[in-house]
Amino acid sequence: MFVSRSMTIKVVTIQPDATVLEAQELMAIHQIRHLPVIDAEDRLIGVVTDRDVRSVLPYDCYKNPDCAKEHESVAGLKIKDVMAVEPLTISPSDTIQDALLLIQKKRVGAFPVVDDTGKLKGIISVRDLLRAFTNVLGIGEPGTLLCILVEEKIGQMKKIVDAITEEGISFGSILVARYWEEDKRAVFPYLLTQNISRVKKKLQGMGYTLLEPMDWYLDQLPKHE
Amino acid sequence: MTMKKTGFLFDQRYLLHDTGPYHPEVPERLQVIYQGIEDGGLIPKLRMIAAVRADLKWVEAVHSVDYIRRFEEVCFSGQSTMDSPDNRMCTETYETALLAVGGVLQTVDLVMQNEIDNAFCAVRPPGHHAEVSEAMGFCYFNNIAIAARYLQQQWKIPKVGIIDFDVHHGNGTQHIFEKDPSVFYYSIHQHPSFAYPGTGREFEKGSVDGYGFTKNTPVLPGQGDEEYRHYVTRDLVPAFDHFKPDMILVSTGFDGHRDDDMSDVKLSTGAFSWIMETIFQLAEDHSKGKLISILEGGYSLKRLPELARNHVRILLNEHIYP
Repeated sequence: MFVSRSMTIKVVTIQPDATVLEAQELMAIHQIRHLPVIDAEDRLIGVVTDRDVRSVLPYDCYKNPDCAKEHESVAGLKIKDVMAVEPLTISPSDTIQDALLLIQKKRVGAFPVVDDTGKLKGIISVRDLLRAFTNVLGIGEPGTLLCILVEEKIGQMKKIVDAITEEGISFGSILVARYWEEDKRAVFPYLLTQNISRVKKKLQGMGYTLLEPMDWYLDQLPKHE
Repeated sequence: MTMKKTGFLFDQRYLLHDTGPYHPEVPERLQVIYQGIEDGGLIPKLRMIAAVRADLKWVEAVHSVDYIRRFEEVCFSGQSTMDSPDNRMCTETYETALLAVGGVLQTVDLVMQNEIDNAFCAVRPPGHHAEVSEAMGFCYFNNIAIAARYLQQQWKIPKVGIIDFDVHHGNGTQHIFEKDPSVFYYSIHQHPSFAYPGTGREFEKGSVDGYGFTKNTPVLPGQGDEEYRHYVTRDLVPAFDHFKPDMILVSTGFDGHRDDDMSDVKLSTGAFSWIMETIFQLAEDHSKGKLISILEGGYSLKRLPELARNHVRILLNEHIYP
């Protein structure tokens, strides 16, 4: 779960002496919102975002580069004039959990990934994190979700995993909701099979309660006062 | 209302595909389906159709040659599964799958030659999860997809409408036709976040030229008759009234029944009749009554007899409820 595995490696970058209009065009072509700014040695020196670009362009010019070219003041604007210097970065050896928490905390959409020497190695965006967590959830593969209510005590998970493994069923993922009811947890194994009736009966036979999925769906809806 | 000439594809050889112990897709499914239809006194009213082996040319109209060859090899070498532990097989599975396809194509011919108006194909193994090059969810050859391609290529049918009310999304069928605007694929199934195979979300609507010719209605666990009535009326009927199919194919799955433990959808026996009556009416309105129903899932041996009996009565246009 390291950033190096989930980041985008082919980064679209820009030089500090390029113009704001070039940045606007690059972001439009690649459908991205962040451009790391690098020097000749690939060292990160700043970041420019679509918001930075938008804030220096006249409103009616934002979608129309030809219009902007007519404004000399805008056409001459360089990246180094508008970029954020000393941007927040993350290391390839940080984890995607770090990236997730940091993105939430700092309210940014992406971090340049920079190694110890200051060189740009990639970029990790909300989009990359979503892809990583989709992979972790296992939902790219066909399967069935079970919802099991368990007592909060040691060893429950092992029993469940053993029971399912004995049926020769592979796991896509297991999620645990730590707080469900008083002293109860909810376990959600995503099983890579269509053949679930036997394993459901087995778990019930072991004394586990299988939640009706709609029960917990209704629990999540806003309650009317 | 006149009686329909209804075909019934059934063959003892469909029982030869043996899935071994602890598997829900068992030969007994077909035996109880036949029994249920016979107990209703319906066999004399039906045109019985026997299986024939499919010409590989038509299987290749959907599946890759490599896949077909691999299936044959895996099967004859005596392996017990293919592509996933779900897909249990025996040495007869490949031939049985070819007989299922062939029987369905034979049925297509009879409908197109006006020998019969409609038909119920009680085949095994099922087909709607099978992808171009992958066996999935107990399915090896995609019977309904091959039938649709056969209708297009052999019978020059311009527009084929496929309705899939098996409780699991027919990923294979959807993917095979998602770019094809001449085949409309509609599926109603348990929501993919809870049920196999994890596809069939509302935003999957086809792609490229086929965008808008795929429609999915996910149903939440615990929902049943009322929601199906609402969704089918809201989604399926207007879509088919607009598409106006020249032929309707149905992936019939009885596994959304409340007594079927393969899903958490809670349909009553009566709701299945209502769904089929609605489909029958769509065929009356658009395809001169031409309609072929092909069995997919449905695992409650207790409920399958009544469900199959009602299904066939509707095809015969016999009134079930006064």
